Amino acid sequence: MTKGASLKMRERKQFRFPPGYGDNKIVSMARDPWWIFAYWEIRHDKEEDIVRSIKGDGDVPAKSILRVYDVTDVNFNGKNAHSYFDIDLKGPANSWYINVGSPDRSWIVDIGVVTKKGNFYLLARSNTAKTPRYGMSDKLDAEWMMPEEDYWKMFGLSGGFGIGKGSLEVREAFKKRLEEQISSAQVSSGASFYRKAQERKFWLVVNTELIVYGATEPDAKLTVQGKEIKLRQDGTFTLRFALPDGRQVIPVEAVSSDGTDRRKIAPIVTRKTE
Amino acid sequence: MPKGYLAIVLHAHLPFIRHPEHEDFLEEDWLFEAITETYIPLIKVFDGLVKDGVDFRLTISISPTLMSMFMDEHLQDKYIRHINKLIELSWKEIDRTRWEPSFLKLAHMYHNGFLECRRVFVDEYKKDLNNAFKHFQDLGKIEVITCGATHGYFPLMEVERPASVRAQVKVAADLYRKVYGKTPLGMWLPECGYNPGDEEALKEEGIKYFFVDTHGILFGTPRPRFGVFSPYLCKNGVAVLGRDMETSKAVWSAVEGYPGDYNYREFYRDIGFDLDYEYVKPYINPDGVRINTGIKYYKITGAGNHKEPYNPEAARDTAAYHAGNFMFNREKQVEFLQGRMGDRAPILVSPYDAELYGHWWYEGPQWLDFLIRKIRYDQETVALATPGDYLKLYKKYQILAPAYSSWGWKGYSEVWLEGSNDWVYRHVHKMTERMVEAANTYKNANGLLRRALNQMARELLLAQSSDWAFIMKTGSHVPYAQERLREHAEHFNELYEEVKEDELDEAYIKECEDKYNIFPEIDYLVYSS
Repeated sequence: MTKGASLKMRERKQFRFPPGYGDNKIVSMARDPWWIFAYWEIRHDKEEDIVRSIKGDGDVPAKSILRVYDVTDVNFNGKNAHSYFDIDLKGPANSWYINVGSPDRSWIVDIGVVTKKGNFYLLARSNTAKTPRYGMSDKLDAEWMMPEEDYWKMFGLSGGFGIGKGSLEVREAFKKRLEEQISSAQVSSGASFYRKAQERKFWLVVNTELIVYGATEPDAKLTVQGKEIKLRQDGTFTLRFALPDGRQVIPVEAVSSDGTDRRKIAPIVTRKTE
Repeated sequence: MPKGYLAIVLHAHLPFIRHPEHEDFLEEDWLFEAITETYIPLIKVFDGLVKDGVDFRLTISISPTLMSMFMDEHLQDKYIRHINKLIELSWKEIDRTRWEPSFLKLAHMYHNGFLECRRVFVDEYKKDLNNAFKHFQDLGKIEVITCGATHGYFPLMEVERPASVRAQVKVAADLYRKVYGKTPLGMWLPECGYNPGDEEALKEEGIKYFFVDTHGILFGTPRPRFGVFSPYLCKNGVAVLGRDMETSKAVWSAVEGYPGDYNYREFYRDIGFDLDYEYVKPYINPDGVRINTGIKYYKITGAGNHKEPYNPEAARDTAAYHAGNFMFNREKQVEFLQGRMGDRAPILVSPYDAELYGHWWYEGPQWLDFLIRKIRYDQETVALATPGDYLKLYKKYQILAPAYSSWGWKGYSEVWLEGSNDWVYRHVHKMTERMVEAANTYKNANGLLRRALNQMARELLLAQSSDWAFIMKTGSHVPYAQERLREHAEHFNELYEEVKEDELDEAYIKECEDKYNIFPEIDYLVYSS
């Protein structure tokens, strides 16, 4: 970090993010009921340590992977997940969207190396990310009970759709409706000022304007079509009119400041569009 | 007694954009356009209702960034300059359109409107629109609520979540108390983004209610007895209300929604784009980029490119018709729900972005005016209420744990977490981690150290604005959003290093403070754990 560098000095270049933070970690976040997102930063020396210990164990590193554990209601110790699956990392990725496919479950993501013999060596372990609940709860509140059918009616009236349908159908209907709504004109919060202008197909617009200009004595009174016009200091004036089709008579009249002299000029302009 | 209640909630928000280092700054215009086209027209609607003795209740959320911009003298003065230029331009338009009566009438309409904006802004509310909203709150007509301090999106605050959410909520509540002189009753969660547990931070600040999208309630646990037509209580006692889809759709949807009516004003035909370049040049961006001026002469007319002149009387009639239609549908909705709610009256919660009204939907404020008057005089089934009013009606509400949700596209976090913007989080999360660490290390900082830590908190909060990720997703103004993030990250990390190495540079701290002067009374200890 440069000490004492003023903002103004720095404004000449672009602002920067640090290239890295020297961390060895992975963070996971729930994006929606079916997907989580993980990003990570891995230190080279940690990676080298792992490779060294793999070789020390008489094995060979085969590939980098993400190991995604379902740890719902589990105090995870590395071995007690309900299940897990692996994702092979290719190329220099530092983040990944993971399709976990199950709402209302908790997930932990390990990043590490799998060896030829099939052993897993851990580089970093994430926090727990919980996918949102999706669908109506099965838990009923004794104090606020009503017949099953009525819950579904309320659900439908609230916009929940799919009365009496299975959860998958409800999910599809719900998704479709949300998409329709939002892709049509649903401006979700704050959107208003950042929306792109509509794109137009091939088009042509032609308009005409008329400029009427002139000069008289600076202290004279000037009217154009009967409306008084303010002169510039040197007695000149310029007026700009949108010119529609048709005939315009434009009487311009100047009267001297003492009211004795009078001049009138009336150009006539015709616009015709074919 | 009405059979049901309608809670209209307008959420007003713009990100903190203030650039005293530039005479003109394109993105600052968002505020000025919103003042002219949305906030002042809404204020005038309220004023008219009060003058006519029409009782009404609306809820308005004003984001703390917007509240801060309202109070900022630099932006106030820039707005006056902005409106003066529009007054000048519209005056020229009165000359230019002399031979086209249908446009001339509109040029006069705009000219008078701009003059009126200047009068309301300068004379009536002394350049600070918080004075207007406070006035109508004090009269008992609107309930002003707050929002996350910088409109940070809570569900993705994965690192140091409690401190992160707490700071967004507390800084917002503190500003509200300072400006509005009491604790905010409610909070609009930015983007309606809710993550289970967020209600704890609200409770700490004495906030009584918040909103979630429909599925936040419907997928809550246990099964909700009243759908979205009643508030529920989180376990900690804070109330939660869900958005009613039917009312949302009536206004939002381009297909079925009112704003697409052919009589309404066309947003995309602005003289900033339509007229000769040399003529509009003094009124567009100084770098020569054409922008919207707000002067628009056409109505939507139809689906094609052919547009006819806007007819304010026809548009007004349409707004009145739509208000009647909306009211009629609410009556039917309430009557239909009534038998299914036990002994309770349903509440329909209809939240909208405030900027939809007036800015996008030019006739929106008129529609609201008609709707309020019709509800008051033309029927007795539905009454307007705020969530605060409704919560007083009953002693008991069902306890519910709402589900993670937002009102963004697809209902979750995809808008703010996708290819264009997902790289943001590693930096913002790291800043949060460092902020908490610094706040825990220096518990009693004074003088320069305190200033550095407080400024770090400001830079972090500003970096958290959901707007930057949103802009990257939508694809317009992207370089600005990226630059802002980089700038806040650089300020923050520079200050962090200075603090850590005990090498504080007052000139640098001051420059950061001057440039990003939001939340002057912030206390970094909000991040200590």
